[in-house]
Amino acid sequence: MSPLSIEARKDYWHGRFEAMASPCEVLVETGDRTLARSVIETVAREVWRIEQKFSRYRQDNIIHQINHADGKPVMLDEESARLIDFSDQLFQMSDGLFDITSGVLRKIWQFDGSDRVPEQDQIDALLKDIGWQRVCWEHPHLALAPGMQIDLGGIGKEYAVDRGLLLARSITDDSVLINLGGDLACTGARKIGGYWSVGRMISSHDQAVGLFRLIKGAIATSGDANRFLLKDGQRFSHILNPKTGWPIMHAPHTISVAAASCVEAGMFSTLALLQGAQAEEFLQLQQLEYWLD
Amino acid sequence: MQLKKISGQMSLAACALLQVASPVARAAAADNNWQVDSAVLLYSESDGRVSVFEPALQATRTINEDEQIDVSVVFDALTGATPNGAHATESTQTFTSASGNRSYTANPGETPLDSSFQDIRLAGSVNYRYNLDRLSRLTWGANLSGESDYLSLGGSVNFEQDINQRNTTLMAGLALSQDTLLPSGGVPCSLTAMPLASENEDDVFQSAGNSDDKLTTDLMFGVTQVLNRKTLFQANYSYSQSTGYLNDPSKIVSVIDPATGLPASSGFFNTALTRNLPYVYENRPDSRTRQSLYSKIVRYLNEDVIHLSYRYYRDDWDITSHTLDLKYRYQMEGDFLQPHVRLYQQSAASFKQHDLQLGRDVDAATGEVLVDYASNDYRLAESQTVTLGLKYGKLLAANQQFSMRAEWMQQTIQEPGVSESEKTPGLDAIIVQFNYSIKF
Repeated sequence: MSPLSIEARKDYWHGRFEAMASPCEVLVETGDRTLARSVIETVAREVWRIEQKFSRYRQDNIIHQINHADGKPVMLDEESARLIDFSDQLFQMSDGLFDITSGVLRKIWQFDGSDRVPEQDQIDALLKDIGWQRVCWEHPHLALAPGMQIDLGGIGKEYAVDRGLLLARSITDDSVLINLGGDLACTGARKIGGYWSVGRMISSHDQAVGLFRLIKGAIATSGDANRFLLKDGQRFSHILNPKTGWPIMHAPHTISVAAASCVEAGMFSTLALLQGAQAEEFLQLQQLEYWLD
Repeated sequence: MQLKKISGQMSLAACALLQVASPVARAAAADNNWQVDSAVLLYSESDGRVSVFEPALQATRTINEDEQIDVSVVFDALTGATPNGAHATESTQTFTSASGNRSYTANPGETPLDSSFQDIRLAGSVNYRYNLDRLSRLTWGANLSGESDYLSLGGSVNFEQDINQRNTTLMAGLALSQDTLLPSGGVPCSLTAMPLASENEDDVFQSAGNSDDKLTTDLMFGVTQVLNRKTLFQANYSYSQSTGYLNDPSKIVSVIDPATGLPASSGFFNTALTRNLPYVYENRPDSRTRQSLYSKIVRYLNEDVIHLSYRYYRDDWDITSHTLDLKYRYQMEGDFLQPHVRLYQQSAASFKQHDLQLGRDVDAATGEVLVDYASNDYRLAESQTVTLGLKYGKLLAANQQFSMRAEWMQQTIQEPGVSESEKTPGLDAIIVQFNYSIKF
């Protein structure tokens, strides 16, 4: 397990650890070191648990089992089933643009800043293994056609933030902020100053370009960071349309959205990116606060 | 993907995933602390009866996560005429205005309308709401309302507690209000004859004083229950007790001579000699206990929303009423349409009396009224009201919303045993309202 550090700050305790390939921070507004440690450890354990359980890189978890069932139904535990239900609802809400079976496109799209754009026949070959409408999901039984795979990477971080916060809230009424690689949420207003300030990172800068001031709820950010392809002057973002297998064009580079929960904020920023040039119009429709770059 | 509003669906999906009840708490960035709602309402009754022009403004300030305060101001301008309680007869009828120095008439067959019915009202309220802890909230409120002849002062406190993993909210509230009536010309003595108008106002009324008071206590208990991801149920019980002066000082009841079927004109009511018009000021009991049960279901259908509510009401004046209300919010892209249907039915108050009969209810010689209570206020009569409306709302920007609604209301009044020509006519009214709200 990765190391966990805890330091005292002026009005709060600051815990750090690594999870899901991102730096993770937990800020607890208390003077009580024991309480702070207990909150930070609880959150870290929960985030690591979720990472292990749902990572697509491991071979000892439910995702591996589902992806290698060779067409046979897998019976899911209650938490996995809830995540699948959620993904199913997202697929419906987004008219198929949010699709957890689209991860296989990564085999041919590598967003390393190069100009290696795949050929149409490579894409076509993969498209036959994509499409949530083709899986058989009868709660709690999930069966994928052979060749298909699911990937909960698009939900995992946000889910981990919300879960961590729920556990933190059960331990303390003090304000707690969790920042998992730029997806953040806090339990409530701080006693001192009211809000938490978190640096706002956008894809084209290494430094924070501004500050988010969060009183309650969550902010999540989606973007193409440094992950894109450039060919003939055209920039291909790493947001792929699961229906065509091609990147979404003309989307903002970075979208941050504020919502009640990190899951909602994250899904709105992702769905907005999937709207391409209509991202802002989509966000306005949702009556949420957002930031674009 | 077609652009559409999915925030409601998303919120429900996230709640199911995280196994929490609806996260009412929206995200709040530090600089979005104000919400201002403004509205203008126009109400107009048919046949030149009452018209109301009512602008209103409400400002809500979120002080921090745990505290919120709102302040609202409403202005009303009322003009027009309203039935004074006497009924249409085959003769011309003469009445005295509230000030006592002016008279007005109703032609044969015409329902007498008091055209001095105009007023302006200014009302304001303040509510302060704060969290006691993570699961409970308290709201303190104060309100003040004034017209030229009316003053109302009130205070309230409301407690809410979430239980059952926030799937259930319990509510208890208490409100007190003290109203003072200051009719021009004084408070008329109930069940005494309306005098003939006179230039010398001081001669006219036997006044029961310049003002009178009414005290109202309201108790309310409620429960809101999340039934499932898409359905919310709410039930309230309220108990209200009013004591003091509950009459409408401008309402009268006709005294009819059964021999002629016309307003009494002999003896005590020989106006030329005694200056007594054949009408007496109404009288209602000096206490009223009201109880109501209200239930409501809100059901989300993807983006559309159905609101269905039913209210049962009864009081110790024998009025029982039923209200059924249905709204369907049809969500489009960035705007919505909301048709509305409301059905209302009430029974008459026990002392609702079309008129008083000379000899039977009123002593012909002394004018003494022999019944304890009598009122012919159409609002206490058996009635049915149908309201049909349509509301349209549009999101102008992420922080600004506009809506307007138009409603048509038709009220029918039932007066069993009263001849068609003497009945209080029903009422058609149109309501138009414009709303604009902004957050910053």
